[in-house]
Amino acid sequence: MRATLRRTLGLAWVVPALVLVGVFVYLPLVQNLQFSTLKWDIYSGSQEYVGLDNYARLVDDPVFWSALGNNVLYAVVSVGFQVLGALLLAALLDSVRSERWQRVLRAVYFIPSAISLTVAGLLFYFIYEPNLGPLNHALRAAGLDGLAQAWLGQESTAMPAIIAMSQWQGFGYSTLLFAVAIQRIPREIYGAAAIDGVGPVGRFFHVTVPLVREMTGLMAIVTISGAFQVFNEVMVMTAGGPNNSTQVLGTWLYRSGFVRNNFGYAAAIATVLFVITLGIAVAQLWAARRRRVEW
Amino acid sequence: MRPRVLPTFAALLGTLTLAACSGGGPAQAPAADAAATPEFSGTLSILTKFAGDPTDAYFENLAAEYQKKHPQVKVELIQETDQSVKDKLKTLTASDALPDIYFTWTGNWADNYIRGGRAADLTKVIGPDTEWGKTFSPGSLAAFARDGKNYGIPLYGNGKFMGYNKQAFEKAGVTVPAAFEDLIAACGPLRKAGYEPIAFGNKDGWPALHYLQQLFAYNVPQATLEADFVPETAKLADPGYVTSLNQFKTLVDQCTDTKSGTNGVLYTSAQEAFAGGKAAMYYQEILEFDNATSGKVKPDDFGIFPLPVPKNAAGDPAVLEGSPEGYLINAKSPRVALAVDFMKFATGLENAKVLSAPPYGQPSTVIGAVTPETSSKAVYEGVQLVNKAPKLAIWLDTVTVPEVADAWLAGGEALISGGTTAEKVLDSVRQASDAAK
Repeated sequence: MRATLRRTLGLAWVVPALVLVGVFVYLPLVQNLQFSTLKWDIYSGSQEYVGLDNYARLVDDPVFWSALGNNVLYAVVSVGFQVLGALLLAALLDSVRSERWQRVLRAVYFIPSAISLTVAGLLFYFIYEPNLGPLNHALRAAGLDGLAQAWLGQESTAMPAIIAMSQWQGFGYSTLLFAVAIQRIPREIYGAAAIDGVGPVGRFFHVTVPLVREMTGLMAIVTISGAFQVFNEVMVMTAGGPNNSTQVLGTWLYRSGFVRNNFGYAAAIATVLFVITLGIAVAQLWAARRRRVEW
Repeated sequence: MRPRVLPTFAALLGTLTLAACSGGGPAQAPAADAAATPEFSGTLSILTKFAGDPTDAYFENLAAEYQKKHPQVKVELIQETDQSVKDKLKTLTASDALPDIYFTWTGNWADNYIRGGRAADLTKVIGPDTEWGKTFSPGSLAAFARDGKNYGIPLYGNGKFMGYNKQAFEKAGVTVPAAFEDLIAACGPLRKAGYEPIAFGNKDGWPALHYLQQLFAYNVPQATLEADFVPETAKLADPGYVTSLNQFKTLVDQCTDTKSGTNGVLYTSAQEAFAGGKAAMYYQEILEFDNATSGKVKPDDFGIFPLPVPKNAAGDPAVLEGSPEGYLINAKSPRVALAVDFMKFATGLENAKVLSAPPYGQPSTVIGAVTPETSSKAVYEGVQLVNKAPKLAIWLDTVTVPEVADAWLAGGEALISGGTTAEKVLDSVRQASDAAK
């Protein structure tokens, strides 16, 4: 009786949160799914049911595919830099003997992550500016005039330039997380490996990598998921241009809805984006269960 | 890298969701009588495009003065920027929560609100034969008229001109070009004289559209152009389009220093290059004139001329690119008459003169508001030319439907960076127009 009452009371405490989550998270998701089946004129208010037409349009939309391709490129590069590169750097930082220097170096690498993406985007816009930007000035000063160009103004260089900025911004954050994970590894294991004659490279591959695999898996999932949800930096630096060459799913979704007035089509892109990120989240949960490392 | 886009879009969609829950679409309210005697009480909400320094003070002062005159009225201002007002308006429209008075551009932008029954018919109070209507320049009033009815209240006018540095022209030994070909020919001597011939920044995409729209008006017959702005009647087959696109590409390649990299330059950087005396010319709106003379270039050294007409152009050489910007009154507002009264107050001659003078520098559409005493020489000259023009070519990104405007925007960018040809740009626009039918 008492236990039942306690359970009932417990449920009562949870209900407000459930209602809030339901109204502000799940209801919009369901409504978004509904919108994606409509041709919705926001001016007259007419909502015409078009079934899966918006999804069929997605298949024939070259900008959608190039946006998806840019997200994939973002993910691949980000995993390279913010997972593998960050793990390597964290291991190098861990090998620095002086604790003081370790702290200083960690702070140096982490500072870019403390800058908001919007600010970082604006900062890099000015770094890349063709006439006044320090990047082109530096290239010209080094006698590399041929390499100076409008980094964000050309279809061939705009996306790589944005991705480079993003890596600079996110690299330190990942490094810090890996550094914490490496620090949790008992020092005795490294000591035993050293006694067995294992060198620094061997210790990295045979001790560090296996024992931080939980963090590596988590970082890979978070990084890939983040790569599919990129928005701010692209919006600030190029808004998807030139000629839609830097559109990602997030910016194309925004442009389709709020610039081109195709809210039904934008909702279809949002649904695709949701399915992708949901898939990644499920993979993350599954991987988290399997990758538990204990010592 | 952290999740970012979904929460943002979910929040926006959340707003739209609530709108959808409420049934969606404007309920058919009885047409409000704009000519009725207003009841001076309640809250009047206004969405402006004047956020930021110095313009935000204009409506704040108007509201304070109006509230002094009518203490029972509370004016609630929602001030947005040129960019944020677009999202705000669309969100409020979808939520069926438009304020009593709200900002609008002309062309397709205003058409959507009129077509959707969201703009009050103001013909009885602001029609060309009414007392209030007669205070506006006819062209600005006509820009917001549809099927013989008047919907919009024009607040300020605008036009696009080539601003030039007279000293640079003198030094290079060139004169104001009489034809587009002469403009291109002048770029060589100007560069030799140490100037970037034309400063140009197309990071936002629309500066290219401004060149294109003026060239289209020159090269494509008016009737064809008007039919082509509407997807249902568009053919987009006139050779004038390709001619215009090629002329624009020639200008970018021969007269700018950034050439194919122009998409990476902000228009404000081009503005600064001209104001700083580094560039000889900069294609600009009247609203930018006072800024152009805020640096090294002094008002006496600053001149303007319309973009020169290409030789053998098949369109109308007298058309000038420009458009007024103004306000609509929410057809569903229970305070339409009060909203009209407020806008009459806002567009009175005294307030119109204040708007046209520094620090605001927005040339009012009210006749007699822009004078040599209240405005700078160039602004006054520009406004006179706009008023004299038999027809104005509305900005390309608001005159046609958004999908087509977006295709022109992407095409303009691709043309600049060299990633496509004029024919391919036209083809992509044609596809966008067909899809928008």
